[in-house]
Amino acid sequence: MIIAEWKPISEIVEKLKGHKKVLVAGCATCVAECAAGGEREVETLAPLLRMAMEKEGNSIEVVTATLERQCEPEFVEPLAAKLIGVDAVVSLACGIGIQCLAEIFEDTPVYPGVNTTSLAIREEPGVWGVRCEACGACVLGETFGLCPVARCAKSLMNGPCGGTRENGACEVNAEVPCIWLKIFERAQARGKVDELLRFQGTKNWSNSRHGGQKRVVREDLRT
Amino acid sequence: MSENFQPEIMILFCRQSVDPATDLARAAGLARNCVLRMVALPCSSKVEVPHIMRVLEDGADGVLVVACPEHACRFMVGNTRAEKRINYARGLLETVGMGAERLALARGAKLSAEALAELGNSRGRAVEPLGANPLRRRK
Amino acid sequence: MNRKAGSRLEKVLASGRFAVTAEIGPPRGPNADVIVEKAKILKGVADAYNITDNQTAVVRMSSIAASRILLDQGLEPLMQMVCRDRNRIAMQSDLLGASALGLKNILCLSGDHQKASAGGKLKGHPGAKNVFDIDSIQLISVVRGMRDEAVQDSGDSIDAPTPFFIGAAWTPLAPPREFRVHRLAKKVAAGADFIQTQAIYDVAAFAEAMARAVDMGLTEKTAILGGIILPRSAGMLKYMNRSVPGVVVPDAMIQRMEKSKDPAKEGRQIFLELIEGVRAIPGIKGVHLQAIEAEHLLPDLIRDAGLLPRPAVD
Ligand code: SF4
Ligand code: SF4
Repeated sequence: MIIAEWKPISEIVEKLKGHKKVLVAGCATCVAECAAGGEREVETLAPLLRMAMEKEGNSIEVVTATLERQCEPEFVEPLAAKLIGVDAVVSLACGIGIQCLAEIFEDTPVYPGVNTTSLAIREEPGVWGVRCEACGACVLGETFGLCPVARCAKSLMNGPCGGTRENGACEVNAEVPCIWLKIFERAQARGKVDELLRFQGTKNWSNSRHGGQKRVVREDLRT
Repeated sequence: MSENFQPEIMILFCRQSVDPATDLARAAGLARNCVLRMVALPCSSKVEVPHIMRVLEDGADGVLVVACPEHACRFMVGNTRAEKRINYARGLLETVGMGAERLALARGAKLSAEALAELGNSRGRAVEPLGANPLRRRK
Repeated sequence: MNRKAGSRLEKVLASGRFAVTAEIGPPRGPNADVIVEKAKILKGVADAYNITDNQTAVVRMSSIAASRILLDQGLEPLMQMVCRDRNRIAMQSDLLGASALGLKNILCLSGDHQKASAGGKLKGHPGAKNVFDIDSIQLISVVRGMRDEAVQDSGDSIDAPTPFFIGAAWTPLAPPREFRVHRLAKKVAAGADFIQTQAIYDVAAFAEAMARAVDMGLTEKTAILGGIILPRSAGMLKYMNRSVPGVVVPDAMIQRMEKSKDPAKEGRQIFLELIEGVRAIPGIKGVHLQAIEAEHLLPDLIRDAGLLPRPAVD
C-alpha cells in the first residue's frame, strides 16, 4: 500500500490562516490502513485543527468527509455537495489522492495534511516497512523476492556492501535487516547461491521517474 | 484566569473499574474543583482518539480516562492499549497548544463516588493552569 | 609486462615486491597547503596514498583535485570514488578528467550513506538526495571498459582509453561471512586489479578468509592488501569492534590495551605485530596502513616494520 504520515500540525495550521471553512478529506484505502488518513484520523485531525486555530484566535469551521478512494474521480466527484462554502481542503490522502481532488475542484486550494513516503507493507501492528520504489524494471526474480532497490539503503544490485552488522542489521538503519543478507539466506536455503555470483550490470532506470514523467498508455483500453 | 474558573472535567470510565453500587450523581455533587461529568464504557480500550477529541471539541476542559488496574483488564490488553492511545493523544494536544494535561489516564478498581469525585478534583487542579478550553470560550 | 595503467603501485606489485599504501583525507576547505603539509610528512613511506571521496558523507575537497595536488608533490595518489553522489554520466566524465590530470589509481566504492555523517560531530547532509545509480562492482566494470575497450557504459566509444589501475574494497569478516569471498570474486571478475581490506585485528580469522580466496584462485588475479589501523586506545578498539561492521577485535587484544601502562606504545607494538602477522598470510601482496588523526606517526611505524625504503620503480 501507499504509506503516508501526518505533517506537523503547525504546518497545516499555517496554511489555513485566513480561511473560514475547511474540509478535512480522508481516504478509506491505503492511508486508512497506515493510520494516516482514514476516518479515524480525519475525525482526530479536524477537532485538533479547530483547537489550534482557535488557540491563535482564528475561528474556523471544519467539516469532514472520508472517501472510499480519493484517487479515482468517480469517488471524488460526489464530494461537490460538501464543498459548498468550503474555502480550503486539507487532504489526508496520498499524493495521488490529493492531486485527484485538486484537479477536480480546481478553484479550491487543496493542502496536503500528510507526507507521502513510500510503498510499504504492514510488518506488524503499528509498523510499516518499505517494499518497492516503483523502479520500473523489477529485479525480484533475480533477488529471491526481496527488493534491493527499496530495501537496501544504497540500492545495490550486487550486494551486500561491507556494512552488514554482526546481528544482521543494515549499517544505515539498525532497525531493519540488511536485505542483501536476507537475499543470501534465501538463496542458500534454496541451494542457489550460485545465482548471486552472476554480475548484475548497470540498471536501466528509464522506465521510472528517471525517464521523464511516467505515463502508461494502453491503446486497447482508450476511448 | 478568572477567579471562579471551574474546569469542566469529563471522566470516561471503564465499567469494570467502578463499584456497580456507586451513585454517579452523588459523585458529581461531591466534586469541588471541577464540574464533573461521567460516561461509562464497557472497556477503556473502547476510547478512540477521535472520541476524546470530540469531547474536547465540545468544550470540556479536561478528559480523564479511567481504566482497570494494569493486568486486571477483563479484555486482556484493553487498558494497555488505552494507555498508549492516550499518550499519543496527549502529544497531539501538546502540539496544538492545548496542553497535554487536558487528558490523562487513571486506574482504579471498585471506585466509590468519593473516589471518582477526587479523581475529578485532581484533574480539575491539573487543568486549571491551562485555563478554559478555547473552544468553550467561543460557545 | 604489459602494464594496465603504469602506476607506481601497479609496478611495485607487478615486480612482486610487498606494497604499502596509506591514506590522506582531503581538507574541509579549499586550502591546498593542508595536503602539501601531509605530503611532506608522508613522502616516501608508501607506494600510493588513498585520497578519500567525501568519506562518511562529510563535504571535503574533491578527491580528484586533492589527488592532483598530491601528485604535484611527487606522491602517488589513489583516488577513491564512491557511488553515492554521482550518476554514471558524472562518474565517467570525472574519470576522463582524472585521467587527463595524470591520476592512475582508482578505488571503487559504494560509499557511506549520507546518513553516516549524522552520528558524528559534524552535521553533514543527511537531508541530501543520494544517487547510487550504479554500485561499486558495476563501477569497477565501467572503469575496466573505459580502460580496456575505450567504451562507456552505454557502449559509446571514448577517444582514447583511460589507463587506471583498478582497486576495490573487501570486508572479509562481515556477515554473511561465507558469501564475502564470493563477492570478492565478483569484484575480481568485474576487473579489480587490487584489493584493500577492511581493518584487520583478528589475523587468524582473516587468514581463514584468505585461504578461501587462495583456493578460489583469486590471489592469482588480484593483489590483496591487508588493511591495518593503528590501535590508539582500548576504547577505540572496543568502539571498532562494536560499531564498525566487519571489524572483529579479539578480546585478548582489547585486554592487552586495557592493561597496558602506555597504551600508545602498546598500540604501536600491536600495529607492528599485525603487519607481521598479515604479511605472513599466503597470498597477501601488501598492506594498507592507517593512523587515524595521527598520520605523523606512520613514517616511524613503517620504518620499524622494516618496510622502508620503498622500492624504486622505473
Ligand atoms: S525491483 Fe523495482 S519494481 Fe521490483 S519491487 Fe523493487 S523497486 Fe519495486
Ligand atoms: S548493509 Fe545491506 S541493506 Fe544496508 S546498505 Fe549495505 S547492503 Fe544495503
